[in-house]
Amino acid sequence: MSTKVKIISYCEAINQAFSEELYRDESVYLIGEDIGKWGNLYGATKGLLNEFGPDRVKDSPISEAAIAGCAVGSAVMGMRPVVEIMYIDFISIAMDQIVNYAAKYHQLSCGEVKVPVVFRTQCGVGMSNSSQHSQCLENWFVNVPGLIVVMPSTPYDVKGLLKSAIRNDNPVIFIEHKNLYFTKGEVPEEEYLVPLGIADVKRKGKDVTVIATSWMILQALNAAEKLAVEGISCEVVDPRTLWPLDKNTILESVYKTRRCVVVTEAPSEGGWSGEAVAVVAENCLEELKAPIKRICGMRTNIPYGKTLEKSVVPSDEWIIEVIRTMMR
Amino acid sequence: MDINEMLKLYKQMLVLRYFDEMCTELKLKALIMDGFHPYVGQEAVAVGVCSALTDKDVVVSNHRPQGHAIAKGITPRRIFAEFMGRRGGVSQGIGGPMQFIDSQSYFFCGSIVGSGIPISTGFGLALKKESKGRVCVCFFGDGASNTGAFHEGLNLAALWKLPVVYICENNQYAEAMPVREFVSVYPISKRAESYGLEGITVDGNDLEAVVEASKKGIMKVRNGEGPVFIETITYRIRPHYIGDPEFMYRTKEEIESWKKKCPVERFKARLVGIGIDGKSLDIIEKEVISNLEKDKAWAIQQPFPSVTQATNHVIVPLD
Repeated sequence: MSTKVKIISYCEAINQAFSEELYRDESVYLIGEDIGKWGNLYGATKGLLNEFGPDRVKDSPISEAAIAGCAVGSAVMGMRPVVEIMYIDFISIAMDQIVNYAAKYHQLSCGEVKVPVVFRTQCGVGMSNSSQHSQCLENWFVNVPGLIVVMPSTPYDVKGLLKSAIRNDNPVIFIEHKNLYFTKGEVPEEEYLVPLGIADVKRKGKDVTVIATSWMILQALNAAEKLAVEGISCEVVDPRTLWPLDKNTILESVYKTRRCVVVTEAPSEGGWSGEAVAVVAENCLEELKAPIKRICGMRTNIPYGKTLEKSVVPSDEWIIEVIRTMMR
Repeated sequence: MDINEMLKLYKQMLVLRYFDEMCTELKLKALIMDGFHPYVGQEAVAVGVCSALTDKDVVVSNHRPQGHAIAKGITPRRIFAEFMGRRGGVSQGIGGPMQFIDSQSYFFCGSIVGSGIPISTGFGLALKKESKGRVCVCFFGDGASNTGAFHEGLNLAALWKLPVVYICENNQYAEAMPVREFVSVYPISKRAESYGLEGITVDGNDLEAVVEASKKGIMKVRNGEGPVFIETITYRIRPHYIGDPEFMYRTKEEIESWKKKCPVERFKARLVGIGIDGKSLDIIEKEVISNLEKDKAWAIQQPFPSVTQATNHVIVPLD
């Protein structure tokens, strides 16, 4: 079967996913700050207000708690809201609604009530936005029973995963990355979905498994490319969904390579990177040829400035360094 | 109100009163495990407001939900069971006295102060879209009016003219904090005025006043005129929770002075005043107590949920 593909940006892929899902399902609506007339900071929702009208694409006041609460209440009543929290840093204002309500209603209703909300936001360094606009906070959500956590790294994944997230009956924390919006990749013209909870091998290899998330996938792929020249073959695994975690794909890769590094932009302490390490250690520690390594953001607040902010989070150079040492 | 409705609401207030008193006993026997928050003294608010609702209207309640729940139509036995953490409870015993959901009755409560206010906007949004005239009632206390969620939620509901009825139960204390020391404006309904709503304050211990304000307000909301805010002035006669050190923040004299304004006694006097035979009211009271005793006995017999039952439904399974 030959499927036609187009090269589009991550941002355009999000826009397409929205357009398709808004068209497909009357109950889907978008809500957030400056998603309508402005069409989101990066243009992810551009044109949708005109196409679908203000009842489906709702510009809201700067009220993250109200936006999140509005989504939760309307989802319980059968609507399918997609919330935009402009920066993940602002989600602190909405945490109560997400953690204490969205994540708990299904269980408290003994399975009767469903809360199909997507909380869409973006994280990371890259725009010199400094410490309150550049964090990676996915670990907060991985720690809360009742939530699904997704971090797509490519245009293909972001479109397919966003469509799946919208159709899913759970609250989903959907974290994009500001450095990815203008990256491009192949996306089929035909409709497709990427299932939640399934990892993807972004590059095949045999010496080291590199598990990376979000923008770190690009760093890992760069590192793999450079290491290949030195004769080191890296397999790059993208979990795509941080929770529930696709342990099988990770373990299958590590059984093959028998070496593993985990790369996240978020600091390592108490985070998902430790969870990924634990999955490997609990299942195949004795198979490993070298200790598992983590390459994570420094435990610091993100400093201001283009060069400085990138110097506190992992780069391809950091990854190369660690893997070279591991292979010695 | 006609006489039948008056008697019906009187009976309902008695159910709330005796339910709470029985819960105090159950708490002292440690059959209720959490401290639970008594509703005694505030019965006219829940009963009065809910008298203007239909089965299909939504109620969002708070950490003191039992009065609202019963008035919305959840049977006392299921609430007894929930309070004691038993199967057969509203949330099958896993939610407890502050967090239970009955989707059939469109009843939702949660224990983070103020959080129900933004969630009500969401119910309102869905009900507005449906446009069948249903409303969402959101109960909260004076303390909740100090949260950011209150202001975000009210602004959004007012902006989008959502069918939400805000009932602020000003029971004089946010836990131990007296309203006059901790709320910067008085009455609290002034806060609603800042969002373009009418600031309505009524005597929350006067059942008829609550009924009248609720019917009028809810009708406006049903007609699509946007949210309504009603502050009800009332008093929590019992402690914040059973066993709180209440005399550190209020006096016996103050409590006694409010007991004289007890909404149940007051309405009983009103009924007698219009010629209802006191004996027939005693019969109603006995019937209420006897039914609640049966409900309580049933609930005590229910099993506790297993760990498997308690950890079920964390997420809807992925395909």
